Amino acid sequence: MFILRNAWRSILRNKVRNILIAVIVAVIAAAATIALSIRDAAQTARDEGLASTTVTATIGVDRDSLIQNMDTEDMADGTMSGTPDFDELRDAIAVDSLTLEQYDHYADIASVPVSTYYTEQASLNGSDELQPVETSSSEQSESSDDSGTESADAASGTPGFPGGMGGMGGDFSFQSGDFLLTGFSSDTAVANAANGSFTMQDGQVFGYDEADAGDAIITTALASFNGLEVGDEITLTDPDDESTTYTLTIVGIYDNTATQNNGMGSMMGAGMDPDNAIYTSVATLEALGLASSDGSDAAGSQLSYTYVLSSAEDYETFADEVQREGLDDGYVVSSTDVEQYESSLVPLENLSSFALTMLLIILAVGAAVLIVINLFNIRERRYEVGVLLAIGIRKAKVAAQFVLELLIVTMIGIALGVAAGAAASVPVTNQLLADQVSQQQSQSESVQSQFGREADIPGLPDMGDLNMEDFAGVEAPPTGGFGGGFQQAVDYIDEINATVNPTVIGQLVLIGLALTLLSSLAGLTSIVRYEPLRILADRS
Amino acid sequence: MNAPTIQSPATANSPAASPRTDERTTAEPSVPILTMDHVHYAYAKGGRPIIRDLSREFHECTVTAIVGPSGSGKTTTLSLLSGLTTPTTGRILYRGADLAKLDRYRYRSHDVGVIFQSFNLLPALTVAENITLSMEASGVRFDQPKRDIVARLLERVRLPKEYMNERILHLSGGEQQRVAIARALSYNPGIILADEPTGNLDMATQNDIMAIFRSLAHDEGKCVIIVTHSPQVAEQSDEVFTLPKRR
Repeated sequence: MFILRNAWRSILRNKVRNILIAVIVAVIAAAATIALSIRDAAQTARDEGLASTTVTATIGVDRDSLIQNMDTEDMADGTMSGTPDFDELRDAIAVDSLTLEQYDHYADIASVPVSTYYTEQASLNGSDELQPVETSSSEQSESSDDSGTESADAASGTPGFPGGMGGMGGDFSFQSGDFLLTGFSSDTAVANAANGSFTMQDGQVFGYDEADAGDAIITTALASFNGLEVGDEITLTDPDDESTTYTLTIVGIYDNTATQNNGMGSMMGAGMDPDNAIYTSVATLEALGLASSDGSDAAGSQLSYTYVLSSAEDYETFADEVQREGLDDGYVVSSTDVEQYESSLVPLENLSSFALTMLLIILAVGAAVLIVINLFNIRERRYEVGVLLAIGIRKAKVAAQFVLELLIVTMIGIALGVAAGAAASVPVTNQLLADQVSQQQSQSESVQSQFGREADIPGLPDMGDLNMEDFAGVEAPPTGGFGGGFQQAVDYIDEINATVNPTVIGQLVLIGLALTLLSSLAGLTSIVRYEPLRILADRS
Repeated sequence: MNAPTIQSPATANSPAASPRTDERTTAEPSVPILTMDHVHYAYAKGGRPIIRDLSREFHECTVTAIVGPSGSGKTTTLSLLSGLTTPTTGRILYRGADLAKLDRYRYRSHDVGVIFQSFNLLPALTVAENITLSMEASGVRFDQPKRDIVARLLERVRLPKEYMNERILHLSGGEQQRVAIARALSYNPGIILADEPTGNLDMATQNDIMAIFRSLAHDEGKCVIIVTHSPQVAEQSDEVFTLPKRR
C-alpha cells in the first residue's frame, strides 16, 4: 500500500515525464495492436476460410517425381549416356491413372467424411448426320456464323499455350475426336462439370440408372448446327474404327452459363470445344463399352475422380491417409480449392509477415526508447533512491515503487494505444491490404506486359479477369475443374475484419509487462547496486 | 534484540518531564544504547583505514559531540552509527546487539533519526510529504492523524505552520535544517544523529538548534550524537568525543 501510494504520488509529481512515456507507449501499443490484429485476422482467415466450405480433391500423376525417380534408377544402372533416353522417359511417365476401384478404395479408408463423384470421358467422331461445331481451324467445315458459338469467336483471343495443366493433377492425353462424350456419376458430378455450370434450354438432365443408359444432352450450339431436337437420336463413331458406332438419345439441350474463351477448341481439335461436349451418364458409357473399366483405351476413355471433403482440415487428413495407405510416389493428392484459397491469401499473408516485421521493429525501437528514458529517469532520481534507502526503505520496496510507477504509466499508455489502435485497425488494415492487392495485381500486369501473355511463373497469381469490383472475398469458387492452370481469376481477400479481441489485448498487456520489466531492468540494477553510504557523497 | 519501546508521538511533542531529567548529571543508565567496540573502518578491504580502533559508549539522555580535525573520520563514524555501513573489524552494538547482524533498514527507519549535513530532503516533495514519508517508512503506528503530528513537529522546530505545503526547494538552508530535524523526530527514535547541524547557520539559529537537541536528550531521554567542528556546539554538549588525528 505504502509502495502503491508513493508510486502514485510520484507519478503525479512528474507529470510531464510520465505523459511523455505514456504517449510513447500509446504509439507503440497502437501500432502493435494493428500489427497483432492483422496477424490475428490472417490466422483466422487461414484457419476458418475453408473450415466450413467443402473442398474437392483429386489424385493425379506427379510426372516430376516419376522422372526424377527414373533418373536415379538410371544412374544406378549406369545406362545414362549423355542425352536423355526419351523413350525411357516416356515409358516412365506413362503411368496409368488409378482405376475406379482404387479411387473408391481410398474413399473407403478415409477416416473423415468424404463423398465422391467421377466423370469418364471418351473422345468420339461424328457421323455424316452429326458434325461438330467448328471454325476455320478445320478444313472440312466452312466458316461458321453461328451466333451461339461465342467461344469460337473468341478463339483467337489468347495466343500461345499457357501451360499449367498440372494444376488439375489429371493425366490428360488430348484426344483428336470431334466430340468429347462425358459420363457423369451423379448430379454432383454434373454440377461440377469441367465446362462450368449450364442451364437446360429444353428437356432435362439424364438419369444415372442403367435404365436411363443411352440418354444424353447436347449444347444449343450443337443442336442448332445440326438441326437436332429433344428426342432425336445421334450416332457417333469410334475415331480409330469408323465401323464402330454408338447411338445416343437426346433428352435435353443445354446452354453453358460461362462461355469458355480460352481458345482450346481451335488449338486442340473440335472435341475440346465446350460446344461439342456431349453429356451423359457413366451408365451410358458402361453400356456402350466406353468406360475405362472396360479397358477401352482405344476410345481414349478418361476417368476423372473427385473427392468432396467438408473442410480443408479434412482434406489434409485425407491426403495423409491416402499417402499412408500406400499411394505410389508417382501420384499426388491435390485440391484446386485449397490451392486457390491459398493463392487468394497471398496479399493477406504478405501483409501478415509485413505486420510481424513492423511489430518487431516497433517493439525493438519502443524497448530502446523506454530503456533510455528509464535510464535517465533513474540517474535523475539517484538522489531520491539514496534518500529513500537512507531513511530505511528497503531496496526491494524502492525498486518495486519505481517499477510500479512505470507499469502504471505503461498500462495507461497501452489502454490509450489499444483504443486508438482498435479504432484505426480496420481502416488501416484494409488500406494496407488494398495496397498489397494492387501491388500483386501490378506485378501480374508487368509480367504480362513482358511476356505478352500470362506467364506460368510459380507463386505469381494469374491476372485472369481480376476486377476490384468482383471481389467476393473468401468464397471464390473455381470457375471450372478444367481451368486449374488456365484463366483463373484469383479472388484476393481484400477485406478483413481486423478487430481487437481479448487475445490481442492479452498479448499487448504481456508485451507491456515485458517492455516495462525490460526497460526497468537497467534502473533496477542501479537501485540494487546503490550503497546507502553513497548518500553522504551525493550531496547536492 | 531489544525492541525499543515506542513512545507515543504525543510525548515527543509535549515538554512533559521525563524521570530521567534529574538523572542526567547524577547517574547514567547502565546499558549504553550505542557502543563502538574496537571499530576499524576502511573503504576497501586492506585499504587505507579511515578509523582505527575506536571504542566508545553512547548513553540515553545525553548530548555527545564528536569532534576532531578534518579527515579524522567524523562523518564515517556517523555513517557507522547510523547503520549506513558496517565496520571492517570490531562491532557497533545497539542495546547490546551487533548492528551488523540486525536488520539495518529497520534500524534506520525506526530506531535512529539522522540529520544529514546536506539534509537529504526530497526537493520535489513538500515539507509535510518529506516528514510523512519517514513516518510511513518507519512502520510505526500513529494514534493521531499524521498531519497533526507534522504540525506539532514544525511548531517544535519553530517553523510556521504554513510551511507544511511548501516545497523544500523554496526553503532556506536554516529552514531545511529544521525540516530535517522534524523528520528525524517524526517517528520518535531513541537515537538522534546529526552531521554538522549548525554548519551554515548564524549564531542565534545555532543556539536555537542546540536548545532543541538538549531538550530532546534531557527532557525526552534520547541519545543525541552531534558530529561537529564547532567549539560552541561542543561546549553546549554533555560529552565530547574527540577523534584522534589520523596518521
